[in-house]
Amino acid sequence: MEVAVDLIGEVGVAEVPVDELDASNAPEFKRDIAPVVENNTKLVLDMSRLHFVDSSGLGAILSCLRQLSAKGGDLKLCCMSKQVRAAFELVRMHRIFDIYATRDEAVRAFES
Amino acid sequence: MKERNQVLPEFENQAEALSISVIEESIRRHVKYSLAKPWSDLSTNDLLSAVAFSVRDLLAERMLETEERYRAGDLKTLSYISIEFLIGQSLTNHLHNLRVFDQYRQALRNLGASLEDLERAEGDAALGNGGLGRLAACFLDSLATLGMPAYGYGINYEYGLFKQEIDGGYQQEKPENWPAQNSPWEIWRPEEACLVPVYGNIEHALDRDGGYNPMWMGWKVLIGVPYDVLVSGYGGRTVNSLRLFSARSSLDFDMRIFNDGDYFKAVEQKIASETISKVLYPSDAVIGGRELRLVQEYFLAACAVRDTVRRFERHHDNFSEFPDKVAIQLNDTHPALAVAELMRILVDEKELAWAEAWRITQATFGFTNHTLVPEALEKWPVPLLHYVIPRHLQIIYEINGRFLERVSIALPGDPGLLKRISLIEESKPQHVLMTNLAIVGSHSVNGVSEIHTGLVKTSLAPDFYKLWPERFNNKTNGITPRRWLLKANPHLAGLVSEAIGNGWITDLHQLRKLEGCVSDPQFRDAFRKAKTANKEELARIIYDTVRVKLDPTLLFDVQVKRIHEYKRQLLNVLHIVDEYLSLIEDGRQPAVPRAHIFAGKAAPGYWKAKQIIKLIHNVGRVINNDPKARDWIKVAFLPDYRVSLAERIFPAVDLGEQISTAGMEASGTSNMKMTLNGAITIGTLDGANIEILEEVGEENIFIFGHTAPELQDMRLRHTYKPRECYERNPRIKRIADTFKTGRFCEKEPGLFTWILGDLLNENDDYFHLADLPSYLEAQEKASAAYCDGDRWTTMSILNVARVGKFSSDWVVANYAREIWNLKSVESA
Repeated sequence: MEVAVDLIGEVGVAEVPVDELDASNAPEFKRDIAPVVENNTKLVLDMSRLHFVDSSGLGAILSCLRQLSAKGGDLKLCCMSKQVRAAFELVRMHRIFDIYATRDEAVRAFES
Repeated sequence: MKERNQVLPEFENQAEALSISVIEESIRRHVKYSLAKPWSDLSTNDLLSAVAFSVRDLLAERMLETEERYRAGDLKTLSYISIEFLIGQSLTNHLHNLRVFDQYRQALRNLGASLEDLERAEGDAALGNGGLGRLAACFLDSLATLGMPAYGYGINYEYGLFKQEIDGGYQQEKPENWPAQNSPWEIWRPEEACLVPVYGNIEHALDRDGGYNPMWMGWKVLIGVPYDVLVSGYGGRTVNSLRLFSARSSLDFDMRIFNDGDYFKAVEQKIASETISKVLYPSDAVIGGRELRLVQEYFLAACAVRDTVRRFERHHDNFSEFPDKVAIQLNDTHPALAVAELMRILVDEKELAWAEAWRITQATFGFTNHTLVPEALEKWPVPLLHYVIPRHLQIIYEINGRFLERVSIALPGDPGLLKRISLIEESKPQHVLMTNLAIVGSHSVNGVSEIHTGLVKTSLAPDFYKLWPERFNNKTNGITPRRWLLKANPHLAGLVSEAIGNGWITDLHQLRKLEGCVSDPQFRDAFRKAKTANKEELARIIYDTVRVKLDPTLLFDVQVKRIHEYKRQLLNVLHIVDEYLSLIEDGRQPAVPRAHIFAGKAAPGYWKAKQIIKLIHNVGRVINNDPKARDWIKVAFLPDYRVSLAERIFPAVDLGEQISTAGMEASGTSNMKMTLNGAITIGTLDGANIEILEEVGEENIFIFGHTAPELQDMRLRHTYKPRECYERNPRIKRIADTFKTGRFCEKEPGLFTWILGDLLNENDDYFHLADLPSYLEAQEKASAAYCDGDRWTTMSILNVARVGKFSSDWVVANYAREIWNLKSVESA
């Protein structure tokens, strides 16, 4: 899958390019976002397309955060649907991510 | 009250005024548009579906009105969670409750059909084993009748309790595939499906503030798809719902995996997920699939709590108000994981502090205990919980740690106390004790009869009782008068209404007025005639089913319930054997000819219970075919005991056998159902028998046997010596020795020798021989009373007149007032 990245200042903004992120496509997502994580230290993941995420998908997103944290960077999330938010809450992942309503808010959060 | 007074009569008039032509049109419309069939091709089942859809239209309309009233009143609601709901048939129950029975009967006649035929054709929804599930169904009926905002939560088993067939006297279990997904009584609600995570592991991480943040990762997901069964209250003003969940695989939501090619693996996974709501486990069964049973219980708890939270969040966002708006009742420990699930939602998802979440949880839950039998007390191995629901196990450990810490500070100096009250049993492997979890997580713990509640306090949970005496209370079980008299026994129901009006239908205490009729010759005559008519009908059913011919003048001596050693069907058989041997060996005719009628299912893996069924059949075959016994004793076993059959049996009972070992039957409800229908109880001082004795008076019941404390004393002091009783009492010896002979097992010698061994065993926990002499004596008293027809009629009328306390309306009103703080929409 192709992960498009916009650069806003120093902040990379990538969109999750699927409606559903689960066991069937989480490995592919992980592979294809790896260069984006590699090339950015400040990354926002725009989740506006995403409607369903299972534990494999959550694992893939968590892995992005861990890679960025390991090199001193950070990952912020934005534009999460209610259903996806519920999945984050279910596993308490909403407590380790900064989650914003819009792209702008997420990007601005890096500036502050 | 003003609203009720104004609206209810108007509504009732509407219901009663529902014209027969409108009903006919509604049925025709459903035949055409719902079934898409020409009238000429209709089978009985087709017509049953069309009529059910027509009734469902009425129910749906009133359910929507009910929901609107609840919403407008912002009333506190009850979630009643039970692994079983033994609903039985629905059609005529709804017709009675909606008060349109006569109209539908006439409409069907006009259409050339018969309501009675449809009633016979309707299958039972057998989503339960016995008392616990039927209690839940009676409670839902009463909650709706009282206008209380309540939702039942259960599992939509594809296979309910097995269908029992008898082959050569042996029970055979056949699948009872009730139309779980195609029943006209169920409304599919896919848009309200719940996602239920299961399995996976905990990743120990830190949150943004550096605090410990365990994350539940790697889970699979089950989908709980709700099906609503509508529950009509009497009068039809309130219609609540019972929400039954079917387990579906997440693959239903994700067809891409199918499209990716691994079709067979996908189907395999889908089937595995859907197994969870496939089958109801019979209680007392040796369960092979422990993991499946745990997932089933968790699935129910998770779906029920999620749905309850969702309902709350529709109109509220402050969870500190949750206990003011929601009560959750756990019907036994099967849904006890709901305590951990609510804590998980509050702490993990809603980010409440632990202490506040715990306050909310305790204030929300109530727990009803239904059993003291040690092997029936649920506990789950910690490794299995860790595998299936790792986050919940963490939460249970946290609850336990905080609880034990508080107790150790409050009550120092008793080192054994913490071990006794811990939620974790320190066995290998460790187990989580579900009763302890339910008690600790609830603000109310109740037993289901006075004696049972006493034993909960003194034997089951004495340490918890010392800690929190205010939490423990009794709520003796009850039964709904609508199903168990109005619907089941139209002969008696009509007579009662004629004599005292129909207020008893919703206020069973009004039956007391019948005491004024006890000397009225006309009433007595009509009362006897009603009983005879019911006995004739049961005799017909028995003849049609098992070809045993019964004369309705016989004393109908009936024991119908699950077959279990503690319920002592064997003791009943010992009496029959005594009666028979006295007749054929001593030439002593019984004081009164009797029909001994049995029905009940044994758990498939319960060998002794199944042997007792075989014994009843063999004893019956010998006696029924012995010309010397022909006019005096008959034995009949009706196969496939179920709610609809019970409705035919109870009205015909003269003498109801409630003969469990004292201290073992939590309450029993067949004792109440029989009493309501004019049967006289022969029973031990066990369960609700004691309270029936208090209500009807000792002159109107036959009590025998040792008390629970006496038996407990014998257990502790090892003073039960059945062999001495056997050696000393020739009558007892003759009965017991029969099992050494081939008298009842000519073709299978030695088949019943195990029974003699059990009877003479000092460790017989059911104390058969201890109670046999007094049982035989009580039976003689019953025979003598039956011989005096006038006396028997008086006793029978007084049993009906004094049974009011056992109405589930009254019981539920007590739960509502003392535990749930639930108000009727009528009084809000």
